[in-house]
Amino acid sequence: MNLFTPIVNLLAKAHPSAKRLMHKFNGGVFPKYNKSLSASQPIRAKLIPQQLILPLQQQVGLPPEVKVQVGDKVKKNQLLAQPSKDPFKALSVPVHAPTSGTITAIQPITLPHPSGLEDQAIILEPDGLDEALDNILGVDGTVPESPLALKEILLNAGIVGMGGAGFPTYAKIPNQRGKIHTLLINGAECEPFITCDDLLMQTEADSIIQGALITAEALGAERIICGIESNKPAAIKAMQKAAANNRVEIKVVETVYPMGGQKQLTLELTGVEMPHKAHAVDIGMLMMNVATYTTIYRAVTFGEPLTSRLVTVSGLGLNQPFNMHVLIGTPFSTLAQAAQPKTELNYPLVMGGPMMGFKVANNDVPVIKTTNCILANPPEPVEMQMPCIRCGDCMDACPVNLLPQQMYWHSQAHEFDKVEKLNVFDCIECGCCSYVCPSHIPLVQYYRHAKSEIKEIHAEKEAVELAKQRHEFRLARIEREKQEREARLKAKKEAVKKEAAKAPTDESAGKKTSSAAAAAKAAAAKRAAAKGQQASSTEEQTETKMPSARLKAIEAAKLAAQKSVKRETSDADTDTKQDAAPMAKPDPKAAAKQAAMLAAKKRAQAKAQQTAETTDLTQETATTEASEKESARKAAMQTARAAAKKRAEAKADKTDSIGEEEITQPNPPPPGKTPKDGTVDKRKAAMEAAKAAAKKRAAEKAALEEKTVKTDSADEMTDSQPSESDSATSTDNAADKLKAAMEAAKKRAAARKAKQQADEQ
Amino acid sequence: MSHPIVSSSPYAHNNQNVRKVMLQVQIAALPALMAHIYLFGYGIVIQWMLALTTALVVEYVMLKLRGRPVLPFITDMSALITITGLVFCIPPDAPWWIVVTGSAFALIFGKHLYGGLGYNPFNPAMLGYAFLLISFPVQMTQWTMPVEFTQSTLDFMQSAHYIFNGHIPGVSIDMYTGATPLNEMRTGLSQGVSIHDTLNKELQTTLWGLNSWAWINIAFLIGGLWMLYSGVISWQYPVGFLGTLAAVSMMFNLIDPGLYPPMDVVLLTGGTMLAAFFIITDPVTASTTPKGKLIYAAGIAILVYVIRNWGAFPDGIAFAILLMNIAVPLIDQYTQPRVFGHKR
Repeated sequence: MNLFTPIVNLLAKAHPSAKRLMHKFNGGVFPKYNKSLSASQPIRAKLIPQQLILPLQQQVGLPPEVKVQVGDKVKKNQLLAQPSKDPFKALSVPVHAPTSGTITAIQPITLPHPSGLEDQAIILEPDGLDEALDNILGVDGTVPESPLALKEILLNAGIVGMGGAGFPTYAKIPNQRGKIHTLLINGAECEPFITCDDLLMQTEADSIIQGALITAEALGAERIICGIESNKPAAIKAMQKAAANNRVEIKVVETVYPMGGQKQLTLELTGVEMPHKAHAVDIGMLMMNVATYTTIYRAVTFGEPLTSRLVTVSGLGLNQPFNMHVLIGTPFSTLAQAAQPKTELNYPLVMGGPMMGFKVANNDVPVIKTTNCILANPPEPVEMQMPCIRCGDCMDACPVNLLPQQMYWHSQAHEFDKVEKLNVFDCIECGCCSYVCPSHIPLVQYYRHAKSEIKEIHAEKEAVELAKQRHEFRLARIEREKQEREARLKAKKEAVKKEAAKAPTDESAGKKTSSAAAAAKAAAAKRAAAKGQQASSTEEQTETKMPSARLKAIEAAKLAAQKSVKRETSDADTDTKQDAAPMAKPDPKAAAKQAAMLAAKKRAQAKAQQTAETTDLTQETATTEASEKESARKAAMQTARAAAKKRAEAKADKTDSIGEEEITQPNPPPPGKTPKDGTVDKRKAAMEAAKAAAKKRAAEKAALEEKTVKTDSADEMTDSQPSESDSATSTDNAADKLKAAMEAAKKRAAARKAKQQADEQ
Repeated sequence: MSHPIVSSSPYAHNNQNVRKVMLQVQIAALPALMAHIYLFGYGIVIQWMLALTTALVVEYVMLKLRGRPVLPFITDMSALITITGLVFCIPPDAPWWIVVTGSAFALIFGKHLYGGLGYNPFNPAMLGYAFLLISFPVQMTQWTMPVEFTQSTLDFMQSAHYIFNGHIPGVSIDMYTGATPLNEMRTGLSQGVSIHDTLNKELQTTLWGLNSWAWINIAFLIGGLWMLYSGVISWQYPVGFLGTLAAVSMMFNLIDPGLYPPMDVVLLTGGTMLAAFFIITDPVTASTTPKGKLIYAAGIAILVYVIRNWGAFPDGIAFAILLMNIAVPLIDQYTQPRVFGHKR
């Protein structure tokens, strides 16, 4: 660079754009700076206006809550509004009284914001005494030892980034010490007209350096680098003097707009190109404006909140531009009038510089914490917008290396997906492209619009996706409930069958159980009937909406369930014959129930046959791959085991609700199950289940301890429930769910087996 | 007091505009125009005025037909640049209807039918030239001979008379017209005369060792360098174009000097410098990314060399440019620069 610099300097004399070779980022522009307008004047004495307007919304994030009432007398630095919610989430900061006086109103006013919207503000009428409360933050003047302690002070002092965006400073600082290795001081001030940072560095270099040292100490940062543009020799000198005996490095950077951009200055000072979408904190760097460091210093050392700031009042329409320590809340018009406008201020003032500032909707808007400049430039004739001639001047000027002409082309055509592909979100809206555009196209405006449109499109997409997920989950839930009911029904039927089979051998027990079983059967049959109806009605829905794999699985499960119902009902017919013998004797109630049950059963049977016919088609098309068969068999086994478990549980007087979730988990068997296999598996599984149930019952009779064992296993089941239901809620990973359920079922089965073995011994 | 938000930032501008850009291009063409008048007579002035009149009429009618405001667009001077580019390609003493149809075609079919300035995919001037070359090959290849052959150029009235009437009383026009050096090299090669011999014949009558064609090219070069300095054109176009053309011509000249002309002849004959600084730099139809500009310019250079040496036309610049115009969207697609913070 040393060899290169004189050559470029020579070239720059011949042609100014050669200066672009002098800095590390692409492009940049060299506007007329007009800085001497205000920089040549000394800082003016403080001015206390007639009225201070303190908008609650001073920064990004949510506004704080008002803590005073109309008519209250307040003193300087007194807390007026405080964040109500968690400030770390809401990005909210408090507002303090800039001077002493009376609160005259709390009303909506026009905000100094590009939108020109209105919002609540506290109106303070100063009494002119300027009575202050000292050290309202209660600091002891020592350097905070941890980032958290510093953040606490910064939050209470209401400090936000004073360079422009107004991001609350506490929110920028990481909680852990040592995360930031390099602290950067932004003294570039690249916008034309603005000189407040320049004068601040000239007059308060020590506070800036102290503020930086305090911050570095608290955060454990190793390096402190300050970047100042070469067009501020006085500021550079003052800062170098202040940094002479400490570790702050002062670096002079080229005068080019937008050197003061965070990414641009970071690259210039450290040589690190901040990765796309990363924050400075992610790469261990933290950059703050010089003004922010002074307020940090004042807050930490004297306990002073942020109530005033240095503001440049400048512009070609003013006779006496100046810089002044302005109380937050001072109306723009008051300050502009103090600079003696050349003509009546019947044009909008600009907050900020000419490159990135915005015209205020009303010249009476107040100075807020982020107001660095009030600009009064009389309106100039606007050149007509011409078509883009693709000259590429914008591309040569873009500090982010975008293709502004292409982005404009697509923005204009509303092809926002293409605009996004051209990385419009990397645009820092510095205005270089618009500045150089020979066609006078307001390019930045197009990109802002494109960004908001793209955000909207994404939000819509997300909403649609969410709705889709909800719908699919709902369908899955309906299906699950259906299968639950089927499983329950089957379990109860099995139980009844076994009871009935046992009845002749044990009469005293038989009486009891047969009536209970009959009741259960009746209820189950009713449910099955209802189920059948539901199934036929929901079937069409599920068929159209569900993914084919899931559909197949459900179909297979349904089929299996139906098969078992069919078989059981036929079994049950023989059961009832057996049942009839003991029944005939004593119980009239039981007889009535029996009759009802029989009728219900018949109905269920008819229904089951009907549905079986409708699902024939799917059976035929189902694939028969071996591996799938295997898994299907396994799943069927699981179902059966689970059903057996369930029955055991019912025996143990457990409520249905406990078992519901559990039973359903292994339910949807994978697709591709052939009907033949299904029936075989089912039968096998049913037999196994029956065996298990019989064993259980025998064991119950044999030993009293059995009950405690079962309750244990039931407990175990309820324990495993939450995780299962959790996984059930996410529709995406159905496979995982199934696996997990199978695992759980297997475990339980193993436990049961062990217990049974123990019992048998 | 409240005002509607009229515009968003930035509120500053470097005061450049399309009109100024176009005007700068026009000014840069003045040296070449002067050289042209000195070396070939006043024919070009008449042609230029004819073209200007045509352009004004066509612009007015087309803007009216398209329902666009006439004044801002007619004064954007883009039509002026188009016709200037075209006029330099037309023989100075070609019949009046050549330049009129050419200009009208260039502006109507090259620009307005695509939606006006900024929307045309093809360079209008080159489209007009290609149209003329294909439609009226005889008139388009009858070049006025430079002053070194004719000793004196036609005066203004003679040129006007010839352009409008097709003959000059008392003067044989054959004395004043002939083939261009590129054409002669081509015919010479077909007759078995080597490039070297053809060139030697030309070199007999030159100023400072350079013939009139070279001087015209140098005039364009001067104007072009000024445009480069004032930032009107990107450096990639002339560097890519001239660099590639120089490299290719040097290579082939080394292979067979009898068959392929030397580098300096290639760079200083025909419309080489006109193309390098005035035609391919038309940003509307050129590639727009930094790398793309280089590729675009290099592509044109290669095509120019191919057409000149192996094609059917003596100078292939118009076709080379039109062909590369087609490739522009593709080039732009694949030469997007790395955005700050992104990895390639």
